[in-house]
Amino acid sequence: MASKLIASNLRQTLKRTASVFSPVRSNSTSAAAAVTSPAETFEDPNGITIKGVRIAGRPLYLDMQATSPVDPRVLDAMLPFYVTQYGNPHSRTHMYGWEADQAAETARAQVADLIGASPKEIVFTSGATECNNISVKGVMHFYKEKKRHVITTQTEHKCVLDSCRHLQQEGFEITYLPVGSDGLVDLEKLRSSIRPDTGLVSIMVVNNEIGVIQPMEEIGKICKEFNIPFHTDAAQALGKIPINVDKWNVSLMSLSGHKVYGPKGVGALYLRRRPRIRVEPQMNGGGQERGIRSGTVPTPLVVGMGAACELAKKEMEYDEKRITALQDRLLNGIRAKLEGVVVNGSMERRYAGNLNLSFAYVEGESLLMGLKEVAVSSGSACTSASLEPSYVLRALGVDEDMAHTSIRFGIGRFTTEAEVDHAIELTVNQVEKLREMSPLYEMVKEGINIKEIQWTQH
Amino acid sequence: MASLGASSSSAPARAEVLALFRSLLRTARKFTDYNIREYTKRRTVDAFRHNQNLSEPSSVSSAYSEGKAQLEIAQRQAVVYQLYAPKIKSVMDLKTHH
Repeated sequence: MASKLIASNLRQTLKRTASVFSPVRSNSTSAAAAVTSPAETFEDPNGITIKGVRIAGRPLYLDMQATSPVDPRVLDAMLPFYVTQYGNPHSRTHMYGWEADQAAETARAQVADLIGASPKEIVFTSGATECNNISVKGVMHFYKEKKRHVITTQTEHKCVLDSCRHLQQEGFEITYLPVGSDGLVDLEKLRSSIRPDTGLVSIMVVNNEIGVIQPMEEIGKICKEFNIPFHTDAAQALGKIPINVDKWNVSLMSLSGHKVYGPKGVGALYLRRRPRIRVEPQMNGGGQERGIRSGTVPTPLVVGMGAACELAKKEMEYDEKRITALQDRLLNGIRAKLEGVVVNGSMERRYAGNLNLSFAYVEGESLLMGLKEVAVSSGSACTSASLEPSYVLRALGVDEDMAHTSIRFGIGRFTTEAEVDHAIELTVNQVEKLREMSPLYEMVKEGINIKEIQWTQH
Repeated sequence: MASLGASSSSAPARAEVLALFRSLLRTARKFTDYNIREYTKRRTVDAFRHNQNLSEPSSVSSAYSEGKAQLEIAQRQAVVYQLYAPKIKSVMDLKTHH
């Protein structure tokens, strides 16, 4: 929530003070912060004050599911396409176009290689949200004569659920599969939900909020058995766990650049060629990307995504080993000093870089506000402005009080042991402080069962 | 990334390998960003440790030219990071000063 407020605040102050800037630093946010009124954002060599909160330095970053920093090796691949090789990859009449086209095609091959696909099956888009929209709405619109039903889960990303709601308004029927308390989908329920007019099954690989990994191979088998196209949102899985589109039998897969240390604003859609899956385009125009996604392909971004994918393939084993060790360190460190800490979602089938914890007897927003030196989130960045508990945790059957106190720790390639230790120290201190003043915690210590208290008035 | 290919046929001398190792670590220290600096140091040490038992001349020289390519990237990017360094340091940098 805090990060969202800061961002909007910065955006506003940027707009207001744009004319005051010296031309040299006019596009730097640090300069923007320096010239804004002290009441809102103030930065001096000793620290930053944003929204009345004073921070000594830039917080340590543990929000890798929201976005990841761009790897310097990725930026190094991108910069030439911002500086000198600025051609439009669709220009067929000069060298600028040819070199940009060549770079985009290399990137396409790099992305395809990471997921075991052919470069011809990759369509570049603006991100995973666009991919999910093309997949869910595009497939159903294309096959609308015969197929009127979609199966998805309650814990999908907002953009899949919202696309489904959009389809519902057009008269399509949607089944939202429930998940178990471990966050995993019940395969038998999936099988029994399939109808003759089911046109699509859409189930994500790694959940963005709780990090659980769905049984992709098994779901793929069921879809193959009934010959139903299978779409999966793999934004949080790309480069982190091994992906193979044939092994999982997926027909469509959504991928994102900025979750794999690549640039924001670029994604890729995998579209199976054999058997061919067809979609109705969301964007009409120049017919780029085989007419599925018109609009000039942004060479620097696409090159960045390709470089990030190649790097992820090379570094996956190394990163995975390290991130798993850091996750253990974080969880053991917190559990050694605090009781009443619950991991949300399956511990066995989980991506190690996502640790979603609930702290009993504290209030989540107070905890987050108290952790100002740690950039973490209570769940998805998209819904972090809302005080409502996460719909994902509610789908897991997490009690309302525990759903309110969840914190998602996102560990990544650049996270250090020292950062994890510092995060443990700050979290433990803050939770202890909040519990000390919590009447609930006092009641629990006195032996009162707080589950029996009715909180909401009817 | 983008391995420079063209690995020379003769394996590099021990002194050359050590010089590359030292250059990588020296370049790593120039990164203004706490996380990138620590990562570059750590990745360098781990990669050299991983490759320390390579004996096949061709694999030694291909690892060497890969390292050279990484050094060039790191040298360029350390400059970029210096150009856009934020005024305020990471809390992790402040912590180690005290």
